[in-house]
Amino acid sequence: MKRTAVFPSLIRDIRKYWAIFRTQLVNSLAYPLDLLSRSFSMVLFMWIFAQLWRTTYSASGQESIAGLSLNDTLWYLMMAETIILSKPRISTQVAEAVKDGSIAYNLNKPYNFILYHFSVSFGDSLLRLVPNALIGSLVVWRLAGPPPATRGWPLVFVAVLAALAIDFCINAMIGMLAFITEEIRAFEWIYAKFILILGGVLIPLDFFPEWLKTAALSLPFAYTTYGPARLFIDPDWDRFVTLISRQGAWLLVCGGILALIYRKGTSQLAINGG
Amino acid sequence: MRREVIFLLSLWKANLLAAMEYRAAFISQVLGMMLNNAVYFVFWMIFFDRFKEVRGWGLTDMLLLFGVVAAGFGIGVALFGNVLGLAEVIARGGLDYYLSLPRPVLLHTLASRSVASGFGDFVYGVLSFVAAGQFSADTVTRFILGTLLAATVFISFLILVNSLAFWIGNANMIAQQATNAIITFSLYPITLFDGTAKLLLLTLIPAAFVGAIPAELVRGFSWQSFGQLFAAAIFFFSLAVFVFHRGLRRYESGSAIQVQL
Repeated sequence: MKRTAVFPSLIRDIRKYWAIFRTQLVNSLAYPLDLLSRSFSMVLFMWIFAQLWRTTYSASGQESIAGLSLNDTLWYLMMAETIILSKPRISTQVAEAVKDGSIAYNLNKPYNFILYHFSVSFGDSLLRLVPNALIGSLVVWRLAGPPPATRGWPLVFVAVLAALAIDFCINAMIGMLAFITEEIRAFEWIYAKFILILGGVLIPLDFFPEWLKTAALSLPFAYTTYGPARLFIDPDWDRFVTLISRQGAWLLVCGGILALIYRKGTSQLAINGG
Repeated sequence: MRREVIFLLSLWKANLLAAMEYRAAFISQVLGMMLNNAVYFVFWMIFFDRFKEVRGWGLTDMLLLFGVVAAGFGIGVALFGNVLGLAEVIARGGLDYYLSLPRPVLLHTLASRSVASGFGDFVYGVLSFVAAGQFSADTVTRFILGTLLAATVFISFLILVNSLAFWIGNANMIAQQATNAIITFSLYPITLFDGTAKLLLLTLIPAAFVGAIPAELVRGFSWQSFGQLFAAAIFFFSLAVFVFHRGLRRYESGSAIQVQL
């Protein structure tokens, strides 16, 4: 009796959020030039990274540093940058909805505010991933040689999706902070920098001192960028299983905290006027 | 000239008073930006911990570079914060308000907004310079000089790219990308780049005049680096003023005169 009640509703929910996701995808596709111009940053960053790491490898006189060749390092950085540059600024959107009160209008709509933003965010991210990865790959291929084995790509794609989900939860939490502090920009900046350093976007965690690498691997940031990017250059099943199970654990923790903050925030929401 | 200086000082005072109305938000942005920059610098600490130096650049050089770039950028956007949104102001007819008043349009537009986080950048820049350990009357003077000239080049470059809005309409994305590019390039050792890349950083995206050359001036005075930096500041500033005023001749809007609160 319960089963028949739960499943049609679940399927209806999935269809609803799938429709939101698809609408966002189509919306973004309407502005192809905008999408391409955003990918300009990929060219800029990959070119600078190539100069920096080429010089560093040549100065060190080593073919491989911490087990990574120059080619590995640059393809790693390409994947990490692709992920980071494909994320929409969801914390700003959530914070704006909290600050201007439009979150109140969404509460009586037939969808969950968080899942709505999750679907929109995924639609945006997936569409940005493609040009970023393509343009980044072209630059790195030209500067450093061919990409890693293609057999790992489907696994990397799954890991990237999990990474984007963790990042969404943390970003939405930052946006929800607007319930407490009106200004959330400082939190956004600091989170972004944590991702750059502890997420291994600027430098692979393999180059860190051992204690710092261990510390970074015990935080969620490493699973939003370092994990998928490392899997990309060194794809194997065991690495994938370890990564996806840790991503799953962080997703549960971050998703749980987000749900709690959302429930507490909306229960204290004061709506004035009509 | 004296009248303009008094006007500018009044604008800055009004901006500061407005920021102080929301003291908690102001302080959180200042401290947040300082922490943000400090976390970013951790990258170079990790890098130089492992690789010691890259083509003659070490951690102290990076501290000086970050010092001059952060202080230059910070003072620039704290005093002339509207430069970051100038393309948007032009595209939506926002210059009508400034054109209707008997004050220099460019100066008034740029100084009518202050970016609070710029104060955080500025303080971080000074702290980074102090952390480099080259603290003497000479170096302090050179740091102030380098910072002011770097800020001039930076603001002039932003006026130039944002002024594209006079010709192409929506120049927001280009202006944003150009801003990112000059900041990103200015924070890397110049010795990484050679040939065409270096030429690019001295001309089209003048990041060398915002980072490496002022940092070199702070490290040790040479007439060459001072001359290059001074000439670049004069050149880019004159070009920016010229291009903005040429663009202003093409400016049109649907009459958006409104009261600024």
